[in-house]
Amino acid sequence: MKKLYSNKWVIFSLVLPGVLVFLFAILAPICLSVYYGFTDYSGMGEAHVIGFKNYQDLFHDSAFGRSLLNSLLLAIGFICIQHPLAIIVAAVLDKLQGRAEGIFRCIYFIPNVISVAVIAYLWKFIYNPDFGLLNNLLKAFGFQGQVNWLSQQNAIWSVLLVLIWHGFGWGMLIYYTGIKNIDPVLYEAASIDGAGWWTTFFRITLPLMKPVIQVNVTMAIISALKQMETVYLLTNGGPSNSTQFAANYLYQQAFKAFKYGYGNAIGVIFIIICIAATIVLQTIFRDKKEA
Amino acid sequence: MKKKIVASLLVAAMAVSMLAGCGDNKSADTSKEDNSKKEQQEETQKSDDNNSDDDSNADEEQASGEDVTIKLFSNLPDRKNGQGLVEQMIIDEYMEANQNVTIEVEALDEEAYKTKFKAYAMDGMPDVVSIWGQPSFLDEVLDAGVLAELSEDDYADYKFIAGSLEGFKKDGKLYGLPRNTDIQIIYYNQKMFDDNGWTVPATYDEFLTLCGTIKDAGITPVAMDGGDGWPMATFLTDILVKIAGTDYADIISNAISTGDFTAPEIKQATQLLVDSAAAGMFQTGYDSQDYGTTMNLFTNGQAAMYCMGSWDASMALNEDIDAEIRENIRAFTMPTVADGKGGAKDIAAWNGGGYAVSADSAVKEEAIKFLNYMYQPDKLSKYGWENGVGMSAQDQTAYMTGEETELQKQIMNILTEATSVSGTPINDCGPSAFKTAIESEIQGVSNGSTSVDDFLAKIGEACK
Repeated sequence: MKKLYSNKWVIFSLVLPGVLVFLFAILAPICLSVYYGFTDYSGMGEAHVIGFKNYQDLFHDSAFGRSLLNSLLLAIGFICIQHPLAIIVAAVLDKLQGRAEGIFRCIYFIPNVISVAVIAYLWKFIYNPDFGLLNNLLKAFGFQGQVNWLSQQNAIWSVLLVLIWHGFGWGMLIYYTGIKNIDPVLYEAASIDGAGWWTTFFRITLPLMKPVIQVNVTMAIISALKQMETVYLLTNGGPSNSTQFAANYLYQQAFKAFKYGYGNAIGVIFIIICIAATIVLQTIFRDKKEA
Repeated sequence: MKKKIVASLLVAAMAVSMLAGCGDNKSADTSKEDNSKKEQQEETQKSDDNNSDDDSNADEEQASGEDVTIKLFSNLPDRKNGQGLVEQMIIDEYMEANQNVTIEVEALDEEAYKTKFKAYAMDGMPDVVSIWGQPSFLDEVLDAGVLAELSEDDYADYKFIAGSLEGFKKDGKLYGLPRNTDIQIIYYNQKMFDDNGWTVPATYDEFLTLCGTIKDAGITPVAMDGGDGWPMATFLTDILVKIAGTDYADIISNAISTGDFTAPEIKQATQLLVDSAAAGMFQTGYDSQDYGTTMNLFTNGQAAMYCMGSWDASMALNEDIDAEIRENIRAFTMPTVADGKGGAKDIAAWNGGGYAVSADSAVKEEAIKFLNYMYQPDKLSKYGWENGVGMSAQDQTAYMTGEETELQKQIMNILTEATSVSGTPINDCGPSAFKTAIESEIQGVSNGSTSVDDFLAKIGEACK
């Protein structure tokens, strides 16, 4: 069998499908995107090469700037709010044991199972100023007047809350599996040595979870960058681009504004940012490892 | 040796599995054909079931013609109500009358439709398609040369309303036919008005005062779908028509071609919109609420007025709406603005949606024949009117049944008594990049986070 796997033709035939998928479903579209990014293509008819015009326009496009800023805010929200909470909840769940553990694990994961469309409409109703749950709750506590949760100023925070809440279960589940993989002997030894909950958490759980945290943080940042469905359904980037995200803006420009070339330029910048973010994260984590 | 055989077997298996993926074109095509034939049969059967009993005779009589399949790509996914129902009725009738013709319908809602339309434009269009006779949609489509030219002379007897074909022309050549006439309307709840002693305003100042009174009574004055952007743009168009009168079209086309929107009329209209929103004319959070939510505010009696196009006149026939509200929905048009050139009967109305035939259609003649059949005055117009879907782009007076709702009659009067009609609303006058920009920026200017000057500059930029 070993010899079989060293036969070049076998290796070639096994690798070929993967390579072909990569070439035609990933690399070729990216190359086409780069090409179309240099054109004024409207999606129909002829494409004319216009050099770096799309990229120059993109540089001055305040809506695109806003969408990148929003992605950044979301990434920060994920890393500073969602993930610390997810780790703590995962650690607590691990300590719960028994039936409660299973029940709470399910409850926290439910938002992830519900379709994005349902989530978006659910929150649309919760935020509605006239009949929404939030304003009715406030009213019950004696607050007079209507809070406009999706106003130009508030909308981005309301959207971030939904996104952080929605992705919480997923992050928690990965941390939870990570914690479950830690050898219980370590905890036993620590408790014999008289270590309390906090000490075990900071000295054993967290350090051993480092690889899981690395993967989770990288995924969180990538998902913040490519955020689209929830925003598209919840606010579609409005009011007036205040909740715009790069992927949604790309869609709007390419398919609604018939600026296919411009959309592709956004796509190219988007890919570059994603690659750069991944490289930066890898470097940060690698340095830490070596230190 | 054994290993070599296993290795070559593995390679062979891999190759076979991949080739299977590639498939044989011919066999794939045939199976597709088989499928489509099956669908054809099913559809024909369906239409047989739906219609009269003596089909078998017709079958025998007309089976002689060559089989033709027309693909219709429609933006009306609801085939059981409203306009989609009317379209389907005509299709069924046509297939009934021409047994050799099968019409396959693919229907998507507007946004998905426009996206797929573009994909089709690159890779072969269906034979008959829904289009919009407005620059924001049609300019790029006509530039790409995907629509067939129609002969205007063919339609001399089709009773199209004067000027309604203009939006579907380029360089004097006709490329499509309009389906509707849309009017910008302010719907109101007459019972609520009467109970509170409110009256329909004649001037914009009165309108603002009325909104203040209604708001003080704890009711939303006007339900506005600001989340979508376009209803606010048509509202702005309506104000602009009252300010600029018949100069509206010239002012807008001039602004679009130069990218300069600083004309005093546009500025004044935008300022009025901003002032109205600031005074609380619309519901809280109007700039993020969608069509359904907004309409519900009005149909639930939480809002006194509702600003939308004439197609929503079918509210008066919608049994899901409480009878007390449904039967009391009435309409008025935008009140006049002080010192404005537009009179009470200069209205914002346009001919938007319609149909066209693909330039590369393999069954172009048959497709045009079907298009012409749809537009026979006793088809789209008559059925549309009978089903309360609003007004067509053809003269409908012959089809009045006497059983129209009060609202239908009112809207018909608004159109027949109009002294001038604006044409395309502002957001659809420019390229689609302009449409996207204005529909997004109008939210910012109306809620006060963008200044009027910045707004006008930004939408101007999108025209360049």
